[in-house]
Amino acid sequence: MSKAIEIENFSYGYPDGTMALSEIKLSIEHGQKVVLIGPNGAGKSTLLLTMAGFIKGTGKVFVDGLEVNRKNLKNIRTCLGSCLENPDDQLFMPTLFDDVAFGPLNMRLDVEQVKKRVAEALQTVGLAAMADKAPHHLSAGQKRAAAIATILSMTPKIITLDEPDGSLDPRNRNNLINLLTGLTQTLIIATCNMNFAAAIANRAVLMDKGRIIADGDAKEIMSDFKLMSEHGLEVPTARD
Amino acid sequence: MHHAHIDKFAYQDSVIHRLDSRVKFIAVLVFTAMVISLPRTSLSILACFAIGPFAVLVLGGIPLRFVFKQILLVSPFVLVLALSCPLYDRTPLTVAFGPFVWRGTLGWMRCFAILGKFVVTMLALIGLVSTTRFNDLLAGLQRLGVPKLLVIQLGFLYRYIFVLIDRAHHILQARAGRKLRNLGFKRELRTASAMVGSLFIRSIDTAEHINIAMQGRGFDGRWRSISKLQIRRADLLFALIAVSFMLVLYVFVKPVLQ
Repeated sequence: MSKAIEIENFSYGYPDGTMALSEIKLSIEHGQKVVLIGPNGAGKSTLLLTMAGFIKGTGKVFVDGLEVNRKNLKNIRTCLGSCLENPDDQLFMPTLFDDVAFGPLNMRLDVEQVKKRVAEALQTVGLAAMADKAPHHLSAGQKRAAAIATILSMTPKIITLDEPDGSLDPRNRNNLINLLTGLTQTLIIATCNMNFAAAIANRAVLMDKGRIIADGDAKEIMSDFKLMSEHGLEVPTARD
Repeated sequence: MHHAHIDKFAYQDSVIHRLDSRVKFIAVLVFTAMVISLPRTSLSILACFAIGPFAVLVLGGIPLRFVFKQILLVSPFVLVLALSCPLYDRTPLTVAFGPFVWRGTLGWMRCFAILGKFVVTMLALIGLVSTTRFNDLLAGLQRLGVPKLLVIQLGFLYRYIFVLIDRAHHILQARAGRKLRNLGFKRELRTASAMVGSLFIRSIDTAEHINIAMQGRGFDGRWRSISKLQIRRADLLFALIAVSFMLVLYVFVKPVLQ
């Protein structure tokens, strides 16, 4: 069976010569919940964009067995849903319903199927009663949940989330943790919040300066005080 | 952050709210054209035309205080235009209203006519926007044949204007927190241009992210949406009442009051 993500020697540099990603080798099985941890500028967001085919570099990237190239982009974006860091960028339609329906409509599903998927996705994130609301009328926590619903409605096998806990209060963060741990899809989450990472993932990939420094059991990596300190991170305090 | 949304009453429920956006839009368009075409010296007919939008606002449950606040917000632009009329047209004019006689100039008459037309058309426009959800209005425009690109642009404008206002507000707060003395006109201007530049660059950044979000969800350049619009009996009845009201005023009442 093909792997969810397979990256072979992938490198990408900015036009000014700075290497954003260097010699990345990563393999993620279906159903895993993986956190990409690392300081700011480590390359976590760039790696997520690479998986979704938004960044072209050297090396090979496979998503669900399909090589990331122009020909496969449509299929790749159907099976991999990416959720951006700022929900305001993710929610661009006049109402929540339209936003959640945007992906399924582009998959050319019929109207009844689209409505069913929108209802299910909004139900999953607890926003079923808010379908007709405009995104700017939602709170920060609701916007985050709505952004995830826009991906869920496309029923992807793999979901990538960039700093999903950013600017959330503890109650909304806990709601998000409950939502994400309840999902059956492969989750790849980039975050700087170690408590959040520890509550969700069973595997951690530590990145710094565009390289993978450590890859393994989340508890083991995140409890290594020396390793975490060396890369400007902290050991989680509220482990579940 | 909370904004003074122009459509904050559009999510209520009333007879007017339930009407099809296309019918309301066309009615407002025709109404505005008729009011604009009224003679500049006839104020009494304007008062008759105002009955229509007033009825819509009352039936829609829109507080008149909110309506006049919105009119006041945009009035400076029209005030400048209207108040310039008495300066260049000083032809003497006498207006009799029953026992009252007013002696003024044609310029003042034009000034009142411009202000009157502005208020009446704004009443209709606010009536439309306050009783119609913006996405329904966009869907209606699309069904009426307005180019899709324009409708998409309007949708993005409505969605992101509040984000932009928030950002501008944060930049202003950051400046106010560090501006401890008057910097003089030149430096203030330089600071303002830097702030506008910063907003511009962040807007481009946002646009790039939106593009990624759209492509990530399978956008291929074709805009697909589900239209919930449907013309019902109530819409036809509203259209009939609106047409009758405007025709009676324009054809029968206008010649009498002119």
